[in-house]
Amino acid sequence: MSFIPGQPVTAVVQRIEICKLRQCDNLILGFSIGGGIDQDPGQNPFSEDKTDKGIYVTRVSKGGPAEAAGLMIGDKIMQVNGWDMTMVTHDQARKRLTKKNEDVVRLLVTRKSLEDAVRNAMV
Amino acid sequence: MPAEVRQEQSPSNQTSLAMMQEPQEIVEETVTIEEDPGTPTSHVSVVTSDDGTTRRTETKVTKVVKTVTRRTYHPVVVSETLVGSKPATPTPGDSDSVTKMVKTVTTRTVRQVPLGPDGVPFPEGSSPLGSYTNSIDRRFMKNGERFSTPQATSTLTRSYNNYSDSYGETPEGPYRHYGLHDGYGDLPDSYGSLSRGVNYRPRYPYMASSGYRPENSYTLPIRKDDYSHVAQPQVPLGGTVDLNRSQPERFQAEPYGLEDDRRSLGPDDDEPYDLESDYSTANRRTVGGANHGRHMREPPRVRGGYEDPIEADLIDDRHPYMPNLYSAPLAQAELGSLASLDRMGPMGGRRSPSADSVRKDPRWRDPDLPEVIAMLGHPVDPVKSNAAAYLQHLCYENDKVKKEVRHLKGVPLLVGLLDHPRPEVHRKACGALRNISYGRDHDNKVAIKNCDGIPALIRLLRKTSDMEVRELVTGTLWNLSSYEPLKMVIINHGLQTLTNEVIIPHSGWEQEPNEDSKPRDAEWTTVFKNTSGCLRNVSSDGAEARRRLRECEGLVDALLHALQSAVGKKDMDNKSVENCVCIMRNLSYHVHKEVPGAEKFQEPSTNQAPGSVGPQRKKKDDAGCFGGKKTKEEWFNQGRKNGESEKSYDTLDLPKRTEPTKGFELLYQPEVVRLYLSLLTESQNYNTLEAAAGALQNLSAGQWTWSNYIRATVRKEKGLPILVELLRSDSDKVVRAVAIALRNLSMDRRNKDLIGSYAMRDLVSNLPSGQQRPAKNLEEDTVVAVLNTIHEIVTDSSENARSLIQAQAIEKLVAINRTSQSQRETKAASYVLQAVWSHKELRNSLAKDGWNKTHFQPTATSQAKGTRSNKPAYDDTTLPLMEKNQGNKKSISGDMIPMDELDPDGYSTIDQKDKDCKYKSGDVSSDLAEREPLKNDTNRKQFVRTNRPAVNLVDTCDVKPQPVDSWV
Repeated sequence: MSFIPGQPVTAVVQRIEICKLRQCDNLILGFSIGGGIDQDPGQNPFSEDKTDKGIYVTRVSKGGPAEAAGLMIGDKIMQVNGWDMTMVTHDQARKRLTKKNEDVVRLLVTRKSLEDAVRNAMV
Repeated sequence: MPAEVRQEQSPSNQTSLAMMQEPQEIVEETVTIEEDPGTPTSHVSVVTSDDGTTRRTETKVTKVVKTVTRRTYHPVVVSETLVGSKPATPTPGDSDSVTKMVKTVTTRTVRQVPLGPDGVPFPEGSSPLGSYTNSIDRRFMKNGERFSTPQATSTLTRSYNNYSDSYGETPEGPYRHYGLHDGYGDLPDSYGSLSRGVNYRPRYPYMASSGYRPENSYTLPIRKDDYSHVAQPQVPLGGTVDLNRSQPERFQAEPYGLEDDRRSLGPDDDEPYDLESDYSTANRRTVGGANHGRHMREPPRVRGGYEDPIEADLIDDRHPYMPNLYSAPLAQAELGSLASLDRMGPMGGRRSPSADSVRKDPRWRDPDLPEVIAMLGHPVDPVKSNAAAYLQHLCYENDKVKKEVRHLKGVPLLVGLLDHPRPEVHRKACGALRNISYGRDHDNKVAIKNCDGIPALIRLLRKTSDMEVRELVTGTLWNLSSYEPLKMVIINHGLQTLTNEVIIPHSGWEQEPNEDSKPRDAEWTTVFKNTSGCLRNVSSDGAEARRRLRECEGLVDALLHALQSAVGKKDMDNKSVENCVCIMRNLSYHVHKEVPGAEKFQEPSTNQAPGSVGPQRKKKDDAGCFGGKKTKEEWFNQGRKNGESEKSYDTLDLPKRTEPTKGFELLYQPEVVRLYLSLLTESQNYNTLEAAAGALQNLSAGQWTWSNYIRATVRKEKGLPILVELLRSDSDKVVRAVAIALRNLSMDRRNKDLIGSYAMRDLVSNLPSGQQRPAKNLEEDTVVAVLNTIHEIVTDSSENARSLIQAQAIEKLVAINRTSQSQRETKAASYVLQAVWSHKELRNSLAKDGWNKTHFQPTATSQAKGTRSNKPAYDDTTLPLMEKNQGNKKSISGDMIPMDELDPDGYSTIDQKDKDCKYKSGDVSSDLAEREPLKNDTNRKQFVRTNRPAVNLVDTCDVKPQPVDSWV
């Protein structure tokens, strides 16, 4: 998924709902994120466009809530509970995901396989 | 005569039972026949009688008839024949005897018939001219009369039935039929010919023709007239035919008889007639064909449609007889249809011996090439368009036809039709031209050009909004553009039009973008594909062509926009993208020499380019490096503009204009690097990959400011790993383009170090090991390119030479040097080895590996062939587009290869500079040294070492700290 600056981004997204797992005081989603507008997008191994400063899923813990919900490594997170994640710093994204008062996060994610599937379907 | 009589008698006896009914009818007929000469009615009656008799008498009869015809005229005989015919029916054996009888009869009838129309009916044969028109009417009249008479009809039916019987008995069936007809011939004119068709004719050629004529002219008077003008030149025979026909009517006996003879003499009775019918009908046919050109194009449809109206007419005429015809067990129906066609002349025109046309619908004969071409000049528009369409069909994948069309002067006619106001005409003409222009035969293309076809096509493109026409026009131009001498012509006439009419609108580029609307995407239409293909071809036509394209307003902008759009949509494998990238690549060739004002940007070759090395080393250097430049107001720091994060890359400062760049300047702006890298990353199309790599190669060549920026930008954009990855490509030409691009990029010292550290293994893996070729089996050019790149990287860098050694390359190099079949490979390997050996600090380790000086010296053979310093020794001829002027200082830097033509082979990926510099220049190393004077050696090495641990092929200077990765 690429974009041209100043242009709206269109993407095929999947809704993913993750129920956080409570471990003691911590709420755990079971994945890690990389990216953000304060990071070097060129080092993001998952983005196709190396200028993409979006938030990407870098790891998913086995058996964790995220995996159960269908999140996959390399997914790009577009929204978290309705909040845009394409133009946020890494820390903003992290905070948005780890709200203590929310047991459920609803993500909109996109990944290449989704786009491919849609494209193929249209063909 | 006596013999006949006998036969008649005997048969009659035998058959008496079966035939009984017929005799009566026959008798009646006979009577009429006698009258015939004077009155039309007689004809009719005769016919009927013929049918009955005909079946029995047969082949023999026909032959006889011919001869006989001239000789005897006996109205009386007719009656005899009739009689004879009756008896004949019963037994086959009788038929023989009957035949003779028939013969005599036939003769009489035949003559009578011609006489009838000429002399008897209206004109009385006196006025030839009058005969034509008059005769028609009369004939019709006659027909009407015939039909009107119930007797005739009834007789026919019966006779047919009889025939069927007789056929069953006699194997020769069809022949006999004819024979019979002949005998009765007179009557059949209209009737017989209609129902039974071809077979009959032989016997009554004249009769039939005369009979036909009226009908033809009657039914299709206009066409005939129209046609005659056009048709005659086309079909010379037509004229003759007319004469023949008319003559018989006028002069009756003699001309008529002669014609008959000839035809009848032929081995098959049918054939001669067929020919005749062809000739005579030729005019009409063509007309018909022209009018119904669709038929030609779409044989099945057309014919069907065509027939219908005509058939309807026929059926009306025949109607009374129809039942008989069809009921006949002999399957006469088919013949009948044939016959009707002939009659119809205009409709079918069909008799041509050509098996093809006959097989589907015997009535149709495809017009031959001269006819079709002549039809292009027909006054009726549909005729033109159909002729053109048919021509297109004929030319499809048939070089011979194309050539013939050219010889027949068809091309100017088609070109002339391009300006025709009616859409279907110019569309079809253009379609034909497209097919004609396709192929290796350049003469066709030249023919189009010679009659000003190119401006005509451009005019049409400007005029039409019909998508199909535009596709055809651009397709034709694409075809034409593949021939070198036409490229400049196309540029002169059509460049701006093609750009304005196709490239810009379809690219989605807007000269003054509306802030509110989002940029449009490119549309990969066929028109765009064709046009870009055309421009791709013409863009390879040398410096002047490149200049014209670069300066063509909006072209570069639109192409870039289209490519950006392709990258944005991840749609990068199609032909249009390939064409666009190839154009860009071609236009990027020699930008540093050819672009207006390029000299302002030239860097002294002895100076390290500030952008390439200075800034990357340390930020501190920036100011110093750009010190000289800052006097030029245009430069400012791009990093700042792009924001903090980019600035932290420690990028080199890029020159930026206060005004947005446009036009050809876009070609070499560092921004394009990202575009090409995206293509290199995403595209699966080898041609696109090659072209994108070639574009980078072209842009990174040369010693001017922009190439320095490009080289640095490639690194900054992480382009080196992408390129190195492509060294593993299966495509020979991609590997070659990438290798040369890397070579040019390595003129930047940082790039050189990085490539040396991380790309060496991939480079070496592309080398053949001794006699054994690697799996990829790369071409000589590619191997040489890889060797040159290695040479470039190793030269002046012992660090890189060391990694070369570590990559196990020495063994391969020595093997190539000693055993390669290719002189060029041998030499290139030899240079590399010498460069390695020149690093004295490495000799120890080399010696440990068992190598000695002899391995690194030029082999005796290569020396014998010519030392490196001997330029002429190098086979420059195999290097397309090379510049021989090594003296040119600019040639020192890696130049690119312009790419060419559509066909993949057309692309020459070879680096001009490479050739010049490496092959031609005697002292390679000195050359290089000039190009890239080394900076402080120690500094560099330290720098390099610190860098090595960094991410593969990514300059540490450019790399940010490891990204944060947080669990949530």
